[in-house]
Amino acid sequence: MNAVNMDCMPTIGDYQFPARDSEDKFFGNWLIYLCWDNHLMYCAPFCVPLPTNLPFGALVRDVLPMLFGEHPEFEQIDWQRVRWSDSSDEFLPDFGKSLAQHGFGHKTLIRFKTPALEGSRGHIDNKQLAF
Amino acid sequence: MDTRAKKKKLGLKKRYTTMTRDLSWDTTYQDMDKVFPYDKYEGIKIHDWDKWEDPFRLTMDAYWKYQGEKDKKLYAVIDAFAQNNGHMGISDARYVNALKLFIQGVSPLEYYAHRGFAHAGRHFTGAGVRVASQMQSIDELRHYQTQAHTISHYNRHFNGMHDNIKWFDRMWYLAVPKSFFEDAFSGGPFEFLTAVSFSFEYVLTNLLFVPFMSGAAHNGDMATVTFGFSAQSDESRHMTLGIECIKFMLEQDPDNVPIVQRWIDKWFWRGYRLLSLVAMMQDYMLPKRVMSWKEAWEMYAESNGGALFKDLARYGIRPPKGWEDACEGKHHISHQAWGTFYQYSHAAAFHTWIPKPDEMDWLSKKYPESFDKHYRGRLEHWGNLQQRDERWFNQHLPMLCQICQIPMVFTEPGDPTQISFHETQYEGAKYHFCSGHCKEIFHHEPRKYVQSWLPVHQIYQGACYPEDINPESPGDSPVREVLRYYGVVGGQDNGDFNASQDRSNFDAWLGKNHPQEANK
Repeated sequence: MNAVNMDCMPTIGDYQFPARDSEDKFFGNWLIYLCWDNHLMYCAPFCVPLPTNLPFGALVRDVLPMLFGEHPEFEQIDWQRVRWSDSSDEFLPDFGKSLAQHGFGHKTLIRFKTPALEGSRGHIDNKQLAF
Repeated sequence: MDTRAKKKKLGLKKRYTTMTRDLSWDTTYQDMDKVFPYDKYEGIKIHDWDKWEDPFRLTMDAYWKYQGEKDKKLYAVIDAFAQNNGHMGISDARYVNALKLFIQGVSPLEYYAHRGFAHAGRHFTGAGVRVASQMQSIDELRHYQTQAHTISHYNRHFNGMHDNIKWFDRMWYLAVPKSFFEDAFSGGPFEFLTAVSFSFEYVLTNLLFVPFMSGAAHNGDMATVTFGFSAQSDESRHMTLGIECIKFMLEQDPDNVPIVQRWIDKWFWRGYRLLSLVAMMQDYMLPKRVMSWKEAWEMYAESNGGALFKDLARYGIRPPKGWEDACEGKHHISHQAWGTFYQYSHAAAFHTWIPKPDEMDWLSKKYPESFDKHYRGRLEHWGNLQQRDERWFNQHLPMLCQICQIPMVFTEPGDPTQISFHETQYEGAKYHFCSGHCKEIFHHEPRKYVQSWLPVHQIYQGACYPEDINPESPGDSPVREVLRYYGVVGGQDNGDFNASQDRSNFDAWLGKNHPQEANK
């Protein structure tokens, strides 16, 4: 974050308004962003509201197949080899622990890489595809 | 009887001065700063408003006369087009989707520009720029009206055009142009002119109007060509206002240079992101193509814009910070945008489709570095699914950029296989951006952008459902309820072109028949 030039907006008077997407506005859920790296058939990462006490295992078991399951490579994912990161660091998930216990928060971005399956170089039906 | 003395006619220059600047005066009962409260707080220093040059010297009576003549011609063409069923002569019904995008996403901006210039035309202290802004305000209103009248003929025959203003206020992808313009006219008058007159009209407008209007000409849409021509002479006046405003600010005080530079950085990038919609239209939505987005970018941005910033260098202005990334993006953005609308076509208000084989080859030829390698594969995959009657629609909502509000579809400069992520913290909350440039815009004015009305977040807050729906549990198909709130008829206003009423109607009018495919 570049703090030097943060907030130099000139205004004609007092200018304070609440943030429109604060945590309290989502019925007790957090918005979580999910990206399967290098898999661009889904044009953008997803944004989903999830309970803060959702176990990471449930995220993998229930949420990810719902979001990404239509990709031809999804079924081949070896979940033991998946590499996880949030917006700054890699992390090792504990499938029994909740999103909150992992230290995530409202509007956290979770990314995962599937090293053997890198969408952009995938082969489906013996044909090289790029998505 | 007395002989009346013949009144002397004023010379053009004198007449202009009499009819414009001489109508202005400095107030004495009230302090001038109270009467014009908005043109100092942005930090722009003006020492001599008389240095403002009026390049066009147009008085209001002459203005009415010119515009009236243009309107007469335009409406004659529109009438003839309607009477001859001009819509039957277009290349292919797919073309009409470019017009839908125009009436949904561009025309409302004309109306916003009308409002913005009316505001600027009231709030500048200098009379010259007030007059220019007022005239442009009227131009913009006229553009909205002529566009609505021209396209209304298509509205009688095709879906997806009947409720553009409601859609503009509600729909996720129209939040992109809407938030762009609301950002501009909630700035001060100098920023507004830098944003709209300079960065958009002067630097980028050719990339908006030329593709749409030459696209119309190539695809047999003479009505749209005519409103394009009718607007074009106004556009040159608008562009001149843009460059004049920039030069005036830069010449008045050296302290203005960094402020103007920051606005140019911001508004070039915001305008460029907005043009992703045009890029996609140009490469995918015109059955008869004019030129590729990449070619248009090279011609209108790289060569013309390059010359412009060379010229501005003597004032201490450099090209916008996002320039190089925008130039790299020319290989990618149209494909990324079309892929987005293809998969979210059930949630938009126009149709999409997989390009035909010869159109795929055209794309390969025009995009030798990127199309086959990165984009053809996914289009063919979707095409294969469609052949098997499994047309794919993405059922889940995407992450959006806090500034440009576009889904996070843009890839890392230098790596088209990886989405570009940028994040910051402000007052304990996280904010995400598609690019370093959007993030920098946030950093300068975080208190403004924490208020962004992001369509996806609004849906999750329950703000985009009809009144009979409980936002906390919207039922088994939230998307269906959101469409109901948008006022879009699923499968009729949107979905795949091949299964559309537009297609079957158009073919029936031309005497062609085909079985209608299911729109899944």
